[in-house]
Parts: sequence; structure tokens; C-alpha cells
Amino acid sequence: MDNPLVQVDPGLFIWTIVTFLVLLTLLAKFAWTPLLQALESRQALIRKSLDDAQQATKDLERLSLESAQIISRARAEAEAIVSQSRSDGDRLREEIKQKARAEADHIVKNAERQIQLETSRALEQIRREAVDLSVMIASKIIQRNLSKEDNERLIDEALKQVETRRH
Amino acid sequence: MLVQEQVQEHAAAAAHGAAEKFNAGEVIIHHVANSSHEEPLFRLPTILGIDFSVTKHVLMLWMVAAVLFVVVTWAVQRYLKQERLIPSGVMNALEALVEFVRDDIVQPNVGRKWVGAWAPLILTLFFFILGANAIGLVPVFDVLGLLDHFVLHTGEHSFLKQLLHGGTTATSNFNVTAALATITFGAIIVAGSMAHGFVRHWLNLAPHGLAWPIYILLIPIEIMGMFVRPFALTMRLAANMTGGHIAILAILSFVFLFTEMAGAAAGVGVGVLSLPLGVGISALEIIVVLVQAYVFTLLTAVFIGMAIHVHH
Repeated sequence: MDNPLVQVDPGLFIWTIVTFLVLLTLLAKFAWTPLLQALESRQALIRKSLDDAQQATKDLERLSLESAQIISRARAEAEAIVSQSRSDGDRLREEIKQKARAEADHIVKNAERQIQLETSRALEQIRREAVDLSVMIASKIIQRNLSKEDNERLIDEALKQVETRRH
Repeated sequence: MLVQEQVQEHAAAAAHGAAEKFNAGEVIIHHVANSSHEEPLFRLPTILGIDFSVTKHVLMLWMVAAVLFVVVTWAVQRYLKQERLIPSGVMNALEALVEFVRDDIVQPNVGRKWVGAWAPLILTLFFFILGANAIGLVPVFDVLGLLDHFVLHTGEHSFLKQLLHGGTTATSNFNVTAALATITFGAIIVAGSMAHGFVRHWLNLAPHGLAWPIYILLIPIEIMGMFVRPFALTMRLAANMTGGHIAILAILSFVFLFTEMAGAAAGVGVGVLSLPLGVGISALEIIVVLVQAYVFTLLTAVFIGMAIHVHH
């Protein structure tokens, strides 16, 4: 066959295989393997980033929901506390008022009793004074000293009379 | 060898600037065939009857391999050196191609588990074939020839003159494509052996559990199929790479044929038609170059996948 297009050329055949295998070895070592690994890891990185972003959005949503719940709960609690303390205050004020009133009553009553006691004691004293004066005046009038027994009898009678008059 | 002698005579005559009758067939053959072993670029010893001399297609393969290795490795290493892996420049294009090969050629055929094992081979095949195909579209040596003819005027046996012999598309030579198909052939066996074990791979060639008379028919068919696949790869790539170039050269040859037959005016007239047509076919060739690189690698991936995932 003298057609150069279909000439068997084992040298070229072997050179092609050698060239290709050398190129394959070099490229696989220095280019393809590191590149494919890098692409793989970048793909993983992108997937992870997107997942993280999605997770973060979800977390944010949950957190904002939670915080809203917490705020509303806190507000309700605060309101409850305020109303509770208001009613407590009312009750306390009422109690204090009541106590004060009772105390005042007590004091007044005591004072009244004291006054009564003092008054009766004073009256007693006045009465005794009056009796002594009367006796003195009477003895002066009758000009003689009554015996002690007479004297006491007279006083008692007079007192009895006063007592009965008072009643 | 007759044609090669004619080619040399033609080249010599052209170098002397002598007017010679234009032989379209000879010119076309000269532009698509490999340079001859009689006049290799570098003479290397013959071992076991195999002439290892560096012909033009060997040189083209080396050039493609060297350029490919330097460009790809440079781009990848520059990319990987960054602290944050942001592709830029050449890396963008390279990454798009690599991901295309990985996700659309390798993974659907060999499966997720074997991507790491076979992606480097398929990637190298794809870029190597694409580079060898594509460099044939660039008339580097034709420009060098013009430069030599009009400016440099180097001697008849200068290295530059030697470079001008033969076509630049190594993948249009079926010796080259046969070698690449042999790589595929070997890869299929390795893939089957890696997935199922060496013996099991050969047993997988034919389906199990059939009546024995069927095997008498089936086993030869399967063995034939084993060889037909790489043979088809060889012929498809070589023929496609040769065909387009022959078409372009034939159309451009009309200009010179008509000039000889009916004068310069007719040549110019035909050139007005031939040139756009040649440009159109060159544009078509760009697609063919991509498609053939794709088809070769896709079929390799499919065959490897068939050896891994046995369906009968």
C-alpha cells in the first residue's frame, strides 16, 4: 500500500501510547486529582453554607417567635403583679385604717374611764372634805367635841345619807 | 513510497520557484498525511523492527501534550494556591470543561462510585484529542512555509523545510487513533477487573444461565464486539479528522486548477466562491473537532461503564 493515509506506522502507534500515558500520569498527579478534590470540597462547602444559612434563618425565626412570646408573657406577668399589688395595697390600707380606728376607740374609751375614775375620786375627796368641814362646823356649832365613836357614827350616817341621795 | 517521492520532488520544485503542473491530489495528500519515515524530523534507532523516528505527527502529539500539561497544571496550581478558592481567567473555562466531562460524560456512565478512578483518564483523553484535533485547524506550518518561501529562504534540507512536510492533525492518522482506542480497550479490561475481579470480568462478557448452544454463537460475537468497539473509535476519529481537511483543501485547490486551465482571472473568480466555502467548512470543522473529542470520550466512558455495570 503506497497510500500514505493508510500506512501502518508502529513507531507512531507506540509514541502515541507513550505520550498519552505520560501526559495522563502527569496531569492526574498535578492537575486532575487535586482539581477534582478541590471541586468536590468546594461543592460540599457551598452545600454546607446554604444549609447553615437556611438553619440560621430558621433559628432566627424561632428565636424571634420565642422572644415575642417571652415579652408577651412578661407583660402579662407585670400586669398581674401591678394589679395584685394594687389590691394588696388597698387591703393593707383598709386594715391599717381599721386598726387605727380600733386603737383610737380604745384610747378614747380608756380616757373616758380614766376621766370617770378621776372624777369619782375627786368627788369622793370633795365629799370627804365636805364631811370634815361639816363635822368641824357642826362641832363648832354644838361647842363640844363629840366622842370619837360618835364622830365616826355621825360621819357614816352622813355618808350613807349622801350615798342614798346620790342614788 | 511513490507518492512520497513525488511529494518531495514537488516540494523541491516549489522551493526552486519553478513552474510545475498543479497536482491537487498530491498537494492534498501532502497536507493530511504524516511526514515520511525516510525524512523524519529526528532520526531515532529502529528497535525490533519498529522505527521510532520522530515524524511530524509524533512532534504534534508532543506539542499538544506539552502545551496541555503546562496550561492545565499552571491554571490548576495557581487556582489551588489561593486561600479562598475562587476561579479566575483560564480556570473558569477549564473548570466548566472539567465539570462538563465529570458530570455529563463520566458520572452518568461509570457511576458515582468510580468517578474518582476514571475521571482523570477520560479528562486526559478529552483534552488530548481536543487539542490534537484543534491544532490541525491552525495553519502554523503553512505560515512558517510562507515565511520561508518569501523571507527566510532556508536551504533545501533545513529543519524548517522538514517541518513543512506532512499535515498537522495527528488525530487524522489512524495509527494515532488506534493507539488511543487501545488505551480505551485496556481501560475497559482494567475497569471490569477492578469492579468484578479479573476472571469475573471475562465471564461477564457473555450473559449467564443460557443454554449451551447459544454460547457457541454468542461468545464469538462478544469477542468480536470487544475488538469492533475500539476499531470503530479508531476509524471514526481518523476519518472525521481527515475528511474535513480534504474537503477544505479540495475546495481551495479549485483556485489553482482553474488558474492553470483558464488563466488567472478564472482563478480569482473561483477563489471568490472557494474562499468563503473554505471558511464555512473550517467553521464546521470547529464543531467537528469538539464533537469528535466528545464522542470518543463519551464512548470510552460508556464502554467502561458497561464493563462496570454489566447488563444482559
